[in-house]
Amino acid sequence: MVGVTSPFRSVASPITGDWVLGLGSARLARWNGTKAAMRTAKNMRFFLTILLLVALASAGMAQVPGTAAPAAKDSSPHSEATLGAEFSTVVPGEEVTLALRIKLEPEWHCYWLNPGDAGMAASIRWQLPESITVGELQYPAPHYIPTPPLASYGYEDEVLLLMDARVAAGLKPGTKLELKGRADWLVCKEVCLPAREEIALTLTVGEEIEENLAWAPAIAKTRAALPTPATEIEGMRVRAARTEDGYVLAIETPEAAALARQDVRFFPQDQQVLTHAAPQERRAGPGLLTLSLVESEFANQPAERLRGVLTLPESSSWKQGAQVHAVTFEAPVEALGSIALQAATPAGDGLSSTLLVVLVSAFIGGMILNLMPCVFPVLSLKIMSFVQQAGDDRAKIRNHGFVFTFGVLASFWALAGLLLLLRAGGSQLGWGFQLQSPAFVAFVALLIFGLGLNLAGVFEVGMSLTRLGSAGGAAQGYGGSFFSGVLATAVATPCTAPFMGSALGYAIAQPATTSMLVFTALGAGMATPYMVLSLYPRMLSFLPRPGAWMETLKQVLSFPLFATAIWLLWVFGLQTGIDGAAGLLLAMLLLAIAGWIVGKWNVYAISGRTRLVTRATAILALAVGLGFAWNASQQAAPTVTGGGSGKSASAWQTYSDAKLEGLLASQHTVFVDFTAAWCLTCQVNKRTVLHRDAAMNAFAEKGVELLVADWTNKDPEIAAKIESLGRSGVPVYALYKRGARQPVLLPEILTEGILLEALADLPAKPVAPETLSQR
Amino acid sequence: MQFLSSRSLVALALGVLLATSAFAAATVGQTAPDFTVTDMDGKTHKLSDFQGKYVVLEWLNYGCPFVGKHYNSGNMQALQKEWTSKGVVWLSVISSREGQQGYSTPEKAKTDYKAKNSAATTVILDSKGTLGKAYGAATTPHMYVIGPNGNLLYNGGIDDKATTEVADVKTSKNYVSAALTEAMAGKPVTMAKSQPYGCNVKY
Repeated sequence: MVGVTSPFRSVASPITGDWVLGLGSARLARWNGTKAAMRTAKNMRFFLTILLLVALASAGMAQVPGTAAPAAKDSSPHSEATLGAEFSTVVPGEEVTLALRIKLEPEWHCYWLNPGDAGMAASIRWQLPESITVGELQYPAPHYIPTPPLASYGYEDEVLLLMDARVAAGLKPGTKLELKGRADWLVCKEVCLPAREEIALTLTVGEEIEENLAWAPAIAKTRAALPTPATEIEGMRVRAARTEDGYVLAIETPEAAALARQDVRFFPQDQQVLTHAAPQERRAGPGLLTLSLVESEFANQPAERLRGVLTLPESSSWKQGAQVHAVTFEAPVEALGSIALQAATPAGDGLSSTLLVVLVSAFIGGMILNLMPCVFPVLSLKIMSFVQQAGDDRAKIRNHGFVFTFGVLASFWALAGLLLLLRAGGSQLGWGFQLQSPAFVAFVALLIFGLGLNLAGVFEVGMSLTRLGSAGGAAQGYGGSFFSGVLATAVATPCTAPFMGSALGYAIAQPATTSMLVFTALGAGMATPYMVLSLYPRMLSFLPRPGAWMETLKQVLSFPLFATAIWLLWVFGLQTGIDGAAGLLLAMLLLAIAGWIVGKWNVYAISGRTRLVTRATAILALAVGLGFAWNASQQAAPTVTGGGSGKSASAWQTYSDAKLEGLLASQHTVFVDFTAAWCLTCQVNKRTVLHRDAAMNAFAEKGVELLVADWTNKDPEIAAKIESLGRSGVPVYALYKRGARQPVLLPEILTEGILLEALADLPAKPVAPETLSQR
Repeated sequence: MQFLSSRSLVALALGVLLATSAFAAATVGQTAPDFTVTDMDGKTHKLSDFQGKYVVLEWLNYGCPFVGKHYNSGNMQALQKEWTSKGVVWLSVISSREGQQGYSTPEKAKTDYKAKNSAATTVILDSKGTLGKAYGAATTPHMYVIGPNGNLLYNGGIDDKATTEVADVKTSKNYVSAALTEAMAGKPVTMAKSQPYGCNVKY
């Protein structure tokens, strides 16, 4: 078995074992054969002519180092190989890159390391002086050459195969290093012909390197285009798993969204692994691309690892802001299950199986919704009610579970229906729309606060308030269970915008049935924990028996409710300012007073007149409180949209498609803040990150143009832009790096660290474009 | 978020179906696809005619340098002689389409057969690629060994050195000989599949 080359800079593991193909046998060891055959007189003359021409061209240089000697031309039909080096003068102990350039006539091709179904990689048999060692051939990313029903991997027109050579230390300046060898390769069009060329190169040892201008640029260009190890690209990871008929590659990359429609191709480095001509079925989703690969019919056993090159079309890149068309990787083949969760992430490409994946994601997302701060208190309330009902008829518990689930589902259907209706009506609407109303927030805040008071024991209305549907006090109405399902959903919505953005972004762009299915999965996921508890009452037995502890638990559970109320109050404060927040706090106080009155004068312990007075006072307090809350919700927030205060405001310009295009065309870096007054997350990000000094200074330092796209009034231009970015709601933070058409999208929940890190990658403020811009 | 359109998916699925049905490969361990073919003398052969005998299929294109390695070194002829003398039916198959490189008329096939000193039982002319595609022949030389019961015993390259270098023939391990030797000794074939190497079959 001959030594086999690696095509990559950093994957240098030699292939061991009994490979069927002796590929690319560039040998590290010097060739022990006899002297190269004498050239014919004719070829010698040709060689001398070339020497003379090059000598003239290099303006009086005494020697012609680093120049290839074409020889035995007839041996290489339809192609030609020459050897060159990036330096003509080399330094002892240093490296120099050599290149074998194979030039091909149109329509002819030669081969990659793995030639595919037919062909053979190039190889060099060296005859080298002691004082230089030459490394393995490094192959650029190959092209896919289909010859149905087969396929080859190779190169057309021209290819440079690079080698790193090391010059021995201690050589005297002026020493001439004569490199000789024989290159063998195969050229094919319809016919395949073996090609061979004697190659030679003379390097001069000197004290300083001297570039060989005939070769250095081409070598540098080739080196830059060599496949980059995927591990060197931030956020990129390639995993492989076994499938029924082959393998699947899971490519985790931040560029997944931008590359979703690009032609990604995997070139396996090893033979007998894949069917080379089989289509590589591609799927895409947020942060993930997958390729389905068909196993080779000649595989004797499943591969333990997959390695090779992943290519993209020239116009796209694996790395934002860089030109990386090809990456290499080596991945152990895992069991499919171990990456199934990863594969469950993609948001679909219209395949029904992908829809399933989306539905599963939505279902899991729905379950996670139970842990959201705005839902968790309801969960605890609900568990409380399970505890209370544990002594009841099991069938009844189950029925409650069903009704609750139905309540959740009905709410999600209602939301989906509303969304679809509004979408159909041409209204450009995103998720989180309920939050546009401060009154809604105030109402929920008061509701939660009131529930908290109730749990804390300020007043007792049984558990009736927790089942809002049975305001009359019926302890076990199915309506109550239904309505608590509805309540759970309603209070969940403020949390879904940031957390479910992707799934909803998918759903909103899909046909109505798909949207409904996604919403159903969300609802089902959310209701599942309750459903499971009610279906398997045995699990309820794990819950402690009712007793005095329940009162304690009840009181403890009031704290998360108060915390939620504080959170909602903060939301309200962001929307309405300090006066609005004070108004709502006043409303809360009045609610507390009303609650206290009801609790103090228990309805069963008081007579007619007291009853009338206390209830009237409580209702009055409640009414005044609601009045304050309503009044507060009408307050305008001090920082509504567009700009914030002070110096930061002036830097932000109002977004329009035309303005963005203009800035991009004039090579600016642009940051767009898609925001809305009613968007809580947006306001938080604006206050805690975007309009802070650290961010503003970083923006200024990097010369970033700042645009704010205010979606408060549902501007259709902005809606279209948001949709084109694959999102359905705000916030969206898009950073367009200079010259890039596709922005980097920053997370919806922004931190100073994330923003500054994203900006740190940018080059410093360019002088020229800034002074030329017409600001 | 728009991904593959359903139309392109249907096309893809159809493409896969077509590709797999038109290029069904013969599978080692299973019954080799039967065939009815015509040789350079105009004689018709069926696989079932050779029941009880070992059959070697050799995909042939004299213009291919990988094939040339085995014919110019005399390796292929030696193999053909050795195994046909042991009762093996050796069929060289030319699947180059008319107009494609390597295409052969019966007359040319007969001339070449003599000129190359071939010792194959006969040369099959498969210019429509029917036999090649039924077996999934990818390259020249691509070799198949079929057992006396009609089961496919070997599918792959002729040896382990995918080069055009005549000198490599001596040092390479010949998979066809190995398969036949093992099978005739009643042993299972150790190396039953390998990546075929060479030039594309010019379908």
